[in-house]
Amino acid sequence: MIVLETSNLTKKFGGLTAVNDVSMTLNQGDVMGLIGPNGAGKTTFINAISGLNPPTSGSVKMFGDDTTRLTPEKMCRLGLSRTFQIPSPFPKMTAIETVMTATIFGNESGKVKDPVDHSREMLDFVEFPMAETVVAEQLNTVQLKRLDLARALASNPRLLFMDELASGLSEGELNDIMRIINKISKKGISILMIEHIMQLIMAVCNRLLCIQFGTKIAEGLTQEVANDPKVTKAYLG
Amino acid sequence: MSNNIVSKFLNWMKSAAGFSITATIVIAVLASIASGPYLLVNTIVTGGMLALVATGLTLMLGVLNIAMFAHGEFFMIGSLTAYYVFTPISNYIGENPESFIAVIGPLIAMAGAAIVGAISGIVAEKLVFGPLRKRSTDNWVMNSFLLTVGLSMLLINLHQLIFGADFKGIVGYWTGMPVSIADVFISRDRAMAFVIAVIVVSLFWFFMTYTRTGMAIRAVSQDITGAQIVGIDIEKIVLLTISLACALSAVAGGSLLFMYPSYPTVGLEPLYLAWFVVILSGLGNILGAVAGAFMVALLKVITVEYIGAGWDFVVPSALIMLILIFKPSGIFGSDVRGALDK
Ligand SMILES: Nc1ncnc2c1ncn2[C@@H]1O[C@H](COP(=O)(O)OP(=O)(O)OP(=O)(O)O)[C@@H](O)[C@H]1O
Ligand SMILES: [Mg+2]
Repeated sequence: MIVLETSNLTKKFGGLTAVNDVSMTLNQGDVMGLIGPNGAGKTTFINAISGLNPPTSGSVKMFGDDTTRLTPEKMCRLGLSRTFQIPSPFPKMTAIETVMTATIFGNESGKVKDPVDHSREMLDFVEFPMAETVVAEQLNTVQLKRLDLARALASNPRLLFMDELASGLSEGELNDIMRIINKISKKGISILMIEHIMQLIMAVCNRLLCIQFGTKIAEGLTQEVANDPKVTKAYLG
Repeated sequence: MSNNIVSKFLNWMKSAAGFSITATIVIAVLASIASGPYLLVNTIVTGGMLALVATGLTLMLGVLNIAMFAHGEFFMIGSLTAYYVFTPISNYIGENPESFIAVIGPLIAMAGAAIVGAISGIVAEKLVFGPLRKRSTDNWVMNSFLLTVGLSMLLINLHQLIFGADFKGIVGYWTGMPVSIADVFISRDRAMAFVIAVIVVSLFWFFMTYTRTGMAIRAVSQDITGAQIVGIDIEKIVLLTISLACALSAVAGGSLLFMYPSYPTVGLEPLYLAWFVVILSGLGNILGAVAGAFMVALLKVITVEYIGAGWDFVVPSALIMLILIFKPSGIFGSDVRGALDK
């Protein structure tokens, strides 16, 4: 089953074409890595899909329906969640409160019986390293990314975007993240993850999408794309 | 254990918030002993109402990022509404003084003020702010600020055009003997104005802290992108926030009608004072705005008492400039823009 499909997606900022005519498909159960050099347009691409920064042209289909230019809150209700390259926390809220916003507003009302309990489960699931009562503004970037992830999962998504979740992690933390990503995938959530760390990509992704200067240069099974000369050339410059 | 509490209290006293709150209370008490308890009463009534206007302002600034300079006109709309609602009620009470309307009539007028205030807020969003937001959010703070100034002038002139420039006041809301607390006589209207301010601010605080919608408003004020992606409908929150903020200001206007009759520019004084409060207390929280409201009220009352009636804007603004030089984020402020929290 196709979960996400973009057709000729293009995003221009004035004269700059940040995403250029990208078509791709993501299937149910995929853990797809979105790779490409810095400034390639990866973040812009997922922003265009998720409604934060609507595309200039092209279309998006999610779970079979046309979702081009839907607002982020509508996309969330349809089952899309995301984390940010630079976390986007609510600075004055506690960890549990932060997750509760997604539990409460991201689910059909009445679907989650006990919002506090559900939110606590999410924090446990991502192995949040701090107390649930800690205030977000006191967390460092690594902890904030975990919180971002817990919040993203709390709305019970069917599709999850992660933007450089693992950057800045130590070796040990990297292993934790690998395990967590596998756990998420086992829950039946399809994943599109932007990542630079090859070790992580090779370990968890079954497919890859590579873009450079906003244009797709490869899409396919992890091994094939990783060995594609165009891709290695893009990375080596 | 008790040592712990004492040391916590001493630390709090040393903080800007603790120091200024303590200083305010001490000065208020001293001034009342020196010149009479009416100073305290005036401070409390003015402060309570100012708290309503200032929390509305904080809300506009914190959630919508609008530096609202038309907020006084919603105060005016509230006083005007209360005047037109209460005048017939007052005639009825004149004929039937024993009727229960004598008790709840004023409350009906104030509720009317709140409702009309909320509706005007929604109209302002639909006609003025919404279209700007849809068109472009570049330079939003400046553009929306200019819009509010324009809106203020428009509303003042509309009032003059439609209702005239005369004073529309009432003799009083609740008649009868003044309430006496420890030998101090307070008119019923003043006592009620304070009680209403306390109730409304408490309800508002409770709403913001414990309800789901309050949580959504706080989320939007702290990170709009984060709020969007968790499924919060931003447009709904924006509309709700504006109507709430305007209703708060209108309630203040309505319940102070016995002191300030309605006229086109009646809103300017509460607007300036509320801005003093917001600048002074910073964009931290609702309780900060409430504490700041009483400080500004005290400053005003004391200035009028000891320096002269013409100085009641000069002294507070001078003091606020001084405070800002030493603590730019305000006494209770945090670095987060308008993080409305606890
Ligand atoms: N809001 C914006 N306005 C103008 N230009 C933008 C905007 N956002 C991104 N860009 C530009 O679009 C291009 C793609 O940026 P994007 O952030 O999508 O890259 P990326 O692949 O995510 O890079 P990185 O790996 O460094 O995160 C860059 O040249 C960037 O400067
Ligand atoms: Mg990026």
